[in-house]
Amino acid sequence: MQRRVWLKLGVASAAVLAVAGGTLALWPGPATGSRLSPAARPVMQAVGAAVLEGSLPAEGAARTAALAGLLARLDDLVAGLPPHAQRELAQLLQLLGTAPGRRWLAGVDAPWPEASITQVQAGLQGMRTSRLTLRRQAYQALHDLVAGAYFADPATWAQLGYPGPRSL
Amino acid sequence: MSRIPDPIVQGLQRGWKVHGGPHAPLPETLQCDVAIIGTGAGAGVTAELLTQAGLKVVLVEEGPLRSSSDFRQLESVAYPALYQESAARKTADKAINILQGRCVGGSTVVNWTSSFRTPTATLDFWRARFGLADFDSDRLAPYFTQAEQRLHIGPWLTPPNENNDLLRRGAARLGIPAAAIARNVHGCWNLGSCGMGCPTNAKQSMLVTTLPAALDRGATLLVETRAERFELANGQVRALVATPLGGTGARQVRIRAAHYVLAAGAINSPAVLLRSQAPDPHGLLGRRTFLHPVVMSAATMPDKVEGWQGAPQTIYTDHFLETQPIDGPMGFKLEAPPLHPVIFASTVVGIGQEQAGLLRQFPHTHVLLALLRDGFHAESPGGRVRLRSDGSPELDYPLNDFVMEGARRALLAMAEIQFAAGARAVTPVHELGTPLADWPAAKQAIAALPMQPLLAKVVSAHVMGGCGMAADAARGVVAPDGTHWQIGNLSVHDGSIFPTSVGANPQLSIYGIVNRLAQGLAHRLTGRQVALGPPAA
Repeated sequence: MQRRVWLKLGVASAAVLAVAGGTLALWPGPATGSRLSPAARPVMQAVGAAVLEGSLPAEGAARTAALAGLLARLDDLVAGLPPHAQRELAQLLQLLGTAPGRRWLAGVDAPWPEASITQVQAGLQGMRTSRLTLRRQAYQALHDLVAGAYFADPATWAQLGYPGPRSL
Repeated sequence: MSRIPDPIVQGLQRGWKVHGGPHAPLPETLQCDVAIIGTGAGAGVTAELLTQAGLKVVLVEEGPLRSSSDFRQLESVAYPALYQESAARKTADKAINILQGRCVGGSTVVNWTSSFRTPTATLDFWRARFGLADFDSDRLAPYFTQAEQRLHIGPWLTPPNENNDLLRRGAARLGIPAAAIARNVHGCWNLGSCGMGCPTNAKQSMLVTTLPAALDRGATLLVETRAERFELANGQVRALVATPLGGTGARQVRIRAAHYVLAAGAINSPAVLLRSQAPDPHGLLGRRTFLHPVVMSAATMPDKVEGWQGAPQTIYTDHFLETQPIDGPMGFKLEAPPLHPVIFASTVVGIGQEQAGLLRQFPHTHVLLALLRDGFHAESPGGRVRLRSDGSPELDYPLNDFVMEGARRALLAMAEIQFAAGARAVTPVHELGTPLADWPAAKQAIAALPMQPLLAKVVSAHVMGGCGMAADAARGVVAPDGTHWQIGNLSVHDGSIFPTSVGANPQLSIYGIVNRLAQGLAHRLTGRQVALGPPAA
């Protein structure tokens, strides 16, 4: 079942399929969820920090709060997705949450909490222009989720030079 | 706080019959003359005309009933509430993001108000290839005129915002004709928030026009209720089965009607028929679904553009449609969209400092989009709607070389116009797109871009086809009068009946053509002549 749904993401390589199928088989938990799973949170935390470098506060409590806000808004965003999209996203994040999935899909060797921003960015850049459709799909999903969720927060608008909606 | 009157709140206070979601409980069964699935452009026009003819109408909408008091001009509120799949609906391979409405009023609540009659070249093609003999500009004209009067469609006399004026100026410097876009607004405040639901009720969407008229005449509206399937027997629909959204184990509603009108929009209308296992002897259902695939070009201008403010899409050029044959390499229409933070940030490519740098240019960013005219060439068969295992629809739309060749020409054309308008840099919206300093550099770089799915960013806001209309059953799902070729008491009244893309923003094509179909249906069912009239004072 999981393997079949995963196929719908558009696997472009038998090698990646083997990894994905094998990895998911080792992961018996439910692949659905209306918010990020505990295993998905470090993935999105690391991906968020890498995608938003230059937009996030550089350090300290402001940065911690901004990343926490990002994860909370990602939960909201996931909750608004239809069941089929929640399933696919949960499977992607589940795969990325495993060591083999992280290495082969994202190209990141270190565990997410330990990976440097540079390492995660290098992995994302590899996905972004990969010849494998699956890796480009995964990259765009992560990019769009992070960018969309982060800049949904009015607190981020000042750095975009966006004044917010005109009051009526 | 806003003191703008909310016609939906007022209507509910007057006693409109609305069930589902937070409204009155859903009945187990309903009986009516006509059940309409959907509440968008086609459904709204149909509901107004059929209730005018004295018919008892039930409308079934899967989205919620939201209105001006709820419209806060916030993307984070609007996308989950008003759009299909939180504005993240995607094609099967995830290469195209589709913006489509899902609320009472459908896409008409969130569209950008651009109003074009169906282009003559498109109608010529429909007559020649699909036998739609009475689809010509002259015979459709009275139906378009009525729709324009009803929905206040007319010239927009306010000067264009800078994002649009840059298109006008750039095109003029290249000798490319550009013109103003008519809009369906009445007393527009020029806010630029059309895509998040009009907070002032200036946009003449179905939500504030035809649907209130139908509800005032006694129509029943079911919201947050999904049309699951038709029960079919002997070439007739016997009942419509609908399911309340959200709750598990919620009771289904069974609606029995003399006639049924499917107007759930392209993708969802074919999906209802697929779930119903409707007869499809020629294998046409769900096929030839078109998107006007859109590519974009972002420019950095020396002066502020502030593309979030002011009416979106008020200037266009059809130069790249009209200067080549409709059935040749893909032509495209150019327009200038509204820009807001969420859609902008998720569309700007790249990560880290690269993305942050582009995002900081937001106030100076000018964006053009190209709508590719699909469906007029053998190599542009569009996409196919199919069902997932849970019954939800999925559109498989391969971005083949033919489409992507058009996309490359569109990126070139947009960059040239943006430089002519004074751009300091132009970035094709493509994963390998970088800021390009002048037109010769852009020409070279765009020519070398690999035009592949999931590298070039492709989006769509216009879904058409899938229940195509034709003069015979071998070429279409529905007949030229909108009736399903195999199911006698079923009509399809939405953008899914178009046999190709329109080649223009489709709302007025749906209003005008459905106006004719629904007048015909009202006459067949009641013997009465009805027409869309000017709005009540």
